[in-house]
Amino acid sequence: MSEKSRSGEDGHNPREIIRQAFEEWRRALEREDLWSEDSTRSGVPVKPLYTPLDTASLDYLRDLGFPGSEPYVRGAYSSMYRGRSWTVRQLAGFGPPEETNRRYKLLLKEGATGINGVFDYPTLRGYDSTDPVARADVGRGGVAVDTLEDMRILFDGIPIHEVSTSLVTCNPVSNVTLQSMYFANALERGIPLEKLRGTSQNDFLMETAITTAPESLPPAHSFRLCCDAIEFCARRAPRWNPVSFTGYNYREAGCNAVQEVAFVVANAVACSEELVRRGLEVDRFAPRLSFFLSAHNDFFEEIAKYRAARRIWHRVMKERFAARDPGSLRFRFHVQTAGAALTAQQPLNNIARAAYHAMAAVLGGAQSLHVDAYDEALCTPTEQSALTALRTNQILLLETGVTRTADPLGGSYYVETLTNRLEEEILELLEEIENQGGMVRAVETGWIHRTINETAYAYQQAVESGEIPVVGLNCHRMEEEELPMDLFQVPETLSVQEKRLRKVLRERDEAQVQKALSAVEHAATSGENLMDVLMEGVTRGITIGEVSRAIKRALGTWNAPLL
Amino acid sequence: MTRKIRVVMARLGLDSHWRGSIMVARALRDAGMEVIYVGNQDPETIAETALQEDADVVGLSSLSGNHMELAPRVVNALRSKGGGHRTVILGGTVPPPDVPRLKEAGIAEVFGPGTPLERIVRYVSACFPQNPR
Repeated sequence: MSEKSRSGEDGHNPREIIRQAFEEWRRALEREDLWSEDSTRSGVPVKPLYTPLDTASLDYLRDLGFPGSEPYVRGAYSSMYRGRSWTVRQLAGFGPPEETNRRYKLLLKEGATGINGVFDYPTLRGYDSTDPVARADVGRGGVAVDTLEDMRILFDGIPIHEVSTSLVTCNPVSNVTLQSMYFANALERGIPLEKLRGTSQNDFLMETAITTAPESLPPAHSFRLCCDAIEFCARRAPRWNPVSFTGYNYREAGCNAVQEVAFVVANAVACSEELVRRGLEVDRFAPRLSFFLSAHNDFFEEIAKYRAARRIWHRVMKERFAARDPGSLRFRFHVQTAGAALTAQQPLNNIARAAYHAMAAVLGGAQSLHVDAYDEALCTPTEQSALTALRTNQILLLETGVTRTADPLGGSYYVETLTNRLEEEILELLEEIENQGGMVRAVETGWIHRTINETAYAYQQAVESGEIPVVGLNCHRMEEEELPMDLFQVPETLSVQEKRLRKVLRERDEAQVQKALSAVEHAATSGENLMDVLMEGVTRGITIGEVSRAIKRALGTWNAPLL
Repeated sequence: MTRKIRVVMARLGLDSHWRGSIMVARALRDAGMEVIYVGNQDPETIAETALQEDADVVGLSSLSGNHMELAPRVVNALRSKGGGHRTVILGGTVPPPDVPRLKEAGIAEVFGPGTPLERIVRYVSACFPQNPR
């Protein structure tokens, strides 16, 4: 075909020809009333069809580039899953440490490639198992850890010099202690901190806005403890990710996809500013900032979200912080499939839901993946549901072929357009957070809480009106259904913890303990890095409750403005 | 003269998920009730607050599994302080087999995962037909 005929008789360029053809196609649809606008869950408009016209302004090298190269939209690493598959990292934690240790070993034996350990409510809030306010929650939602002795048992026989461990420590107030315990245990086992691979969650929003309890640390102090851990790791544990900004949990609390990414980036920006202020070079700590995102129902929006997050992070680190290390510029993230999207009704349907969520995560280039168990709307996963979730993860990895090529949806007119639109929305919200005075201030004033609250309420109303269909809940319901499975029973935990804690308290050197606790309180007040102090303190047998009481004595407490 | 239905909303133990309890609190408030949100409190303090606030309803929330131990303690504390006639309701991750035992312990109604807010509003309104919403 000659150049002239391809360009059209009237001399128009190819794009104009496509435009004319598209308009004709669209008018035909409109005549039959089949052209309508819809929107993603976060409110980004969606047309019934995308064409080259929508992506015409994309400059491939500037806007997309190659995997592992700027601006990292197509993936954090050059060979993506061909070079290294995502980490199969199934969350586990319940009861006393010996029970969770058995679950970790089962998951590893069955092919999990990383550990993802969650702690019970008292541990995360900084209470000992025996504290009167804690007793009813001991062993629930995670594993109970009171002292270093529990951490030893939790990882007994697990090759932590080889396997990477994610510690779901959530709150900075408990993270400083738990991370110190994990590190101290590694040192006792002869593993230098330089060799340890893993992640601590350690997000101050968790403590102050997302999973609040009364008397959390005030936001500015919780934020400072988060930064203490990052600073410590930059100096002593360079392969450890000392923070995982928990967009997943923001999402579970009610955020939409845009808010999820804007909030993690704003949080990471705040941390980076603080660490630079403390005198660290950006490329010293930024390569170890990591992220934790959700995979919710809106399949393509989720995929576009991950891609947009990578482009935004690259630009923020490069333009705002003048980072140069590729590690600082690449947005690395773990994904958990959305717990809030699961239903207690017809719970086996959750296997299908979680599989779609997981597929979105890897089409979006996740580095690590947890697939939810089907019973999570009802209880802690049983051995059977945990194994089904692990197998779902492995089926995706081994059977579907999604690992063959990097960013397989790159170039899709729809996904590229959605990536651009989400990027715009996220950047706009980032600016709004700046106007609110930055992330720490936005938490202090309750702006974050109000924003999440409004989105969660609107979502709930949309589910109740039927605007958002949820199978088994507001459509295709079955009355009087029998539960098709056994529910998990949390094993007896309090008496086990009580006995062990009594023994630790009996055998420890009280003078050394008091000295360690004064050092904690002093460091909390003076601004000295708390991790430096706690690495020593935890070996003296101090408890997580003692540490958090000492920190709160020094720094005070705060109640989140929720309603 | 009638007054608005008064509700004290609390979360049990150290469970820290606020989404459910806040959604319910907002729905009840939007339905014209007075809602006092106290966050996490121990059972005895929840009962004490309910009495001080002269609450008609005590709404409890928990996703951690601590409900079998803590929810009945709220009922007992209310009874021992002469407030046993107040309606105690519970929402959250409550496995269906727990429901009959909770009702036996004096919890008026249990709202599991996925319950529409509208159903909770209707239930509470129906408990107090003399009160305007």
